[in-house]
Amino acid sequence: MSKPTQTSIPFSEFPHIRELVRLKNQTVRLNDWPVQVRGGIYILCVLEGKYEWEIEQHRYILYPNDVVVLCPWQQLGSPTNTLEIGSFTWLKLEPALFEPTKELQLGDWSALQENDQRLMGRLMCSHAPMVLNQLKQVNELLTKIEQELKQAEFAYQTRINQLLDELLVTIVRQQSQQQNQRRDFPQAFEQLEKMLRQSLDHPWTVEEMATVVGLGSTAFTEKVKAYSGFSPLNYLINIRIAEAMRQLRQTDKSLTDIALDTGFYSSQHFSTTFKKLTGYTPGHYRKRQSGDTS
Amino acid sequence: MECIITIDIGTTKVKASAFDLSNNLIGTRQGSYPTFHPQPDYSEQDPEQIFLTVLYALKGLINDELSKKHRPTAIVFGASMHSVLPIDKYGIPLRNAVIWADNRGRDEATLLKNSELGVKIYEQTGTPIHPMSPLVKIRWFGKNNSAVWLEKVFKFISIKEYIVYQLTGQLVVDHSLASSTGLFNIHQLAWEPMALEFAGIKTHQLSEPVSIDFADLKLKKEYLRLFRVPSTIKVIAGASDGCLATLGAGVVTEGDATITIGSSGAVRVAGKQVLADEKQRFFNYILAEGTYISGGPTNNGGVVFEWFVQQFGASGVHTDIEYAVNQLLMEAERVSAGAGGLLFLPYLLGERAPLWNANARGAYMGVNITHERRHFIRATVEGIIYEIYSIGKLLQQYRSIENLYINGAYATLPFFAQTLSDVFGKTVYINDKHDSASAGAALLALTQLGKYDSLTSAAQTIKSVKTYAPNEQNHERYSHFSEIFDRLSYKLAEDFDALVALQG
Repeated sequence: MSKPTQTSIPFSEFPHIRELVRLKNQTVRLNDWPVQVRGGIYILCVLEGKYEWEIEQHRYILYPNDVVVLCPWQQLGSPTNTLEIGSFTWLKLEPALFEPTKELQLGDWSALQENDQRLMGRLMCSHAPMVLNQLKQVNELLTKIEQELKQAEFAYQTRINQLLDELLVTIVRQQSQQQNQRRDFPQAFEQLEKMLRQSLDHPWTVEEMATVVGLGSTAFTEKVKAYSGFSPLNYLINIRIAEAMRQLRQTDKSLTDIALDTGFYSSQHFSTTFKKLTGYTPGHYRKRQSGDTS
Repeated sequence: MECIITIDIGTTKVKASAFDLSNNLIGTRQGSYPTFHPQPDYSEQDPEQIFLTVLYALKGLINDELSKKHRPTAIVFGASMHSVLPIDKYGIPLRNAVIWADNRGRDEATLLKNSELGVKIYEQTGTPIHPMSPLVKIRWFGKNNSAVWLEKVFKFISIKEYIVYQLTGQLVVDHSLASSTGLFNIHQLAWEPMALEFAGIKTHQLSEPVSIDFADLKLKKEYLRLFRVPSTIKVIAGASDGCLATLGAGVVTEGDATITIGSSGAVRVAGKQVLADEKQRFFNYILAEGTYISGGPTNNGGVVFEWFVQQFGASGVHTDIEYAVNQLLMEAERVSAGAGGLLFLPYLLGERAPLWNANARGAYMGVNITHERRHFIRATVEGIIYEIYSIGKLLQQYRSIENLYINGAYATLPFFAQTLSDVFGKTVYINDKHDSASAGAALLALTQLGKYDSLTSAAQTIKSVKTYAPNEQNHERYSHFSEIFDRLSYKLAEDFDALVALQG
C-alpha cells in the first residue's frame, strides 16, 4: 500500500506557520484519520473527492473547494478513522494568543488591526465549526503562499504575511456573508444581538457590528434604523442599559463594576447615559426597590 | 393643540403614536426588541429592554416628532396578549418574560384540554386551552420550579402590566388583557377560582382587574420630566392589541368581521354574546364590559409566505424582503385562480384555529408535471387564505357576516386582498387607519375623554378607503378547493403525527 503523498515545507523564517500540507491519497487508508484536535488556526480546503467527516460532533459532507476553519481546541476527523481517496490541503497557523474567552492576537507578522483580530476570534468562536462552501480563493491563496515559499523571490517574507492576512480576511468575509445568505435581515440581526449580549463590555464599533451581519457600515446603519427604529450605537446602548437595570436591582455589585461590565468606560459616563434614558440616576433607580409594591 | 398618545407593545416592537382629538394620526415612533429562544420550545423577552424601548419611543415621539404646539393630554396602552412575567415583592422581574409563542406548557395544555375541568374553565374564561395561555404557563412554572423560587414570586403579571407599573408604580390589569389569560371569568369580570386552582396560585398573586377606561393612574414625576409632559396627563389602562385592532377596524357590533394577516393572522367578530363552541375552537375576549371579541387565530400568515420567498425567491445577500414579495406576487398573478389545481396546506408552524393541532404540517397536493414556480407561488398564497376562510366559515355557523374589514401588512397587499374577497365571495374593505390597533387605542382614549359618547359611536367614525369586490367565477372555483382543503386538513392528522415524530 502506497503512503499518501504529502508535501510540506520547512518554515524556519515563519514560526507562525506550523504546517502547510498538500495531501493526495490514492487508496482508502484505515486508521489514518481519527477525530482529533488539530491545533492552531487550522484551515483545510478539499481539492478532490468527497469526505464525510465529524467536526465538533457534527457530521459534514465536504466536496472540492469546501473549506473548514478550526479554532486551536476544535476537533476534526473521520468518525470511522478511515481516510478516503482524494486530496486536500491545509495550513496551520500558530496565533500568539487565542482562547475560548474569545481574545485573538495573531502576532506581530499580521498587519490586521487589533480590533479586527479580536472580532475575527469572536466570529470563529461563535460560529464554530466554521464550514465554508465553495470558496475557491482559499486554495488559490494557499497555492500562492506555497509558491512564494518555494521560490523565495525578492521580499517574499513580506509577501507571504500579506497573503496570510488576505486569506484570513477572505475567510471572515465569506463567513459573515454565507451566514446571512438566504436569510432576512431580522434573523441576521438576532445573531448580532446574541453576540453583543455575550460581550457587552467590548467597545463595539459600527464597523464590527456590520461585519458580523455581513454588510458594509453604511448599508448596515440604514438597515438597523429601518428595522429597529434605533441607530446601531443607540441600539447597543439600549441593551447595555437594560442589562445595567437588571444588575442594579438583582445584584449588590458596585455602580462602577456594573458600568464596566456593561461597556461604559467610566461610572460618570454610565450615570449620564442612564439618567438620559431612564429619567433616574443609577443610584436612585436602585433605591426604588426599597419601596414595597404591596 | 391637544393630542393623545397610544403605546402598542407588540411582539417584535413597540409603537408610540400621536393622534389629534379628531383621531388623525400626527406622528409615530417605534423601536424593536428581540425574542430569545434558549430552547426550541421557548420564546422569551427581556422586560427591561422592552421598557427602555417604550421610554425611547415615547421620548422620541413627544420631544422630537411632535411640535411644541402639541400638548399630550392622555396616554393609553395596548399590548400583545398572553405574556407572563413573575415579579418579586419589590416589583423586580425574577426572570425574562415568557410570551404567547412559548410552547413549554404543551403537556399541561394537552392534559387539561381533554379533561372535564378544561371544558369548564374554557366556558368561564373564554381562552382556548393552549400552551399560549398564561393559565397553562403558570401551572408549568409551579411544576418546574423550586418551592424557594415560587416563594419569591409576589405576582404573575404581563409585560404591559410591568411597563405600566414601571411608569406609575401601580399594578393593575385591564379586563381586556385579563380576559386573555385563561384565568379570568369573562361573565363575572373576576378571577376564576377553578382556573386559579389549576394554575396553583391565589387571587392576590395577580393584579387588580380594572376597566379598560380606568384612568386613575399617575406617571411618576421622573417620567413627567423625561417626557416633558404636564402632571395633568391622563394615563388610561387600555386593552389588548387584538381587541383594540377590532375596534380600530370599526367593528364592535354583529354583522361585521375583521381579517388580519400580518406575520400570523386572525378572523374576529364582535358581539354582546360569547360564542360557546363545544370544541373550544374560538377565543372570546373582552373589549369592554358587555362587548366580546370572538374569533380564531392562525399561526400561518405572512410568515409562511416569507418562508417561501426566502427559500425559493430571489437569491442574494439581504435582498429586500418587501421587494422580493412583490416580485413573486407579480408572477403569481399570471396564473389563474386555483393555481392549476395545485393545493397548499400552510401549516408550517402547526395550527391553532380551527384545527388546534400543533402537529399539523405543510403540504403541496396535486402537483403535476406542468406546474411551474409561479403555480407554487400562487398556491402558497391561496393556501394561506383557505386557512383563514376555514376560520371564517366556522364563525359563520354562529354569526352572519356581511362586511369584511381587512388589515395587517399582508392582507392589505392587493393580491392578498383580491384573493380574500374571491375566496370569501364577499366585498372586503380597507380602512383609512392602517394601524388599527393604534387607531382603536386612540378611539378608546377619545371616548374616555368624552369626545364620543360610546365605543360604538367612536367606531362609526372609521372610514373605508378601498374596496375589493369578489369575482363570482373565481369564488365558485375556490369553493371546490376550499372543501378539499378542509377535508385534507383533518384527514391527514395521523400522518402529520407520524411525520412530526420523525422530525424529532
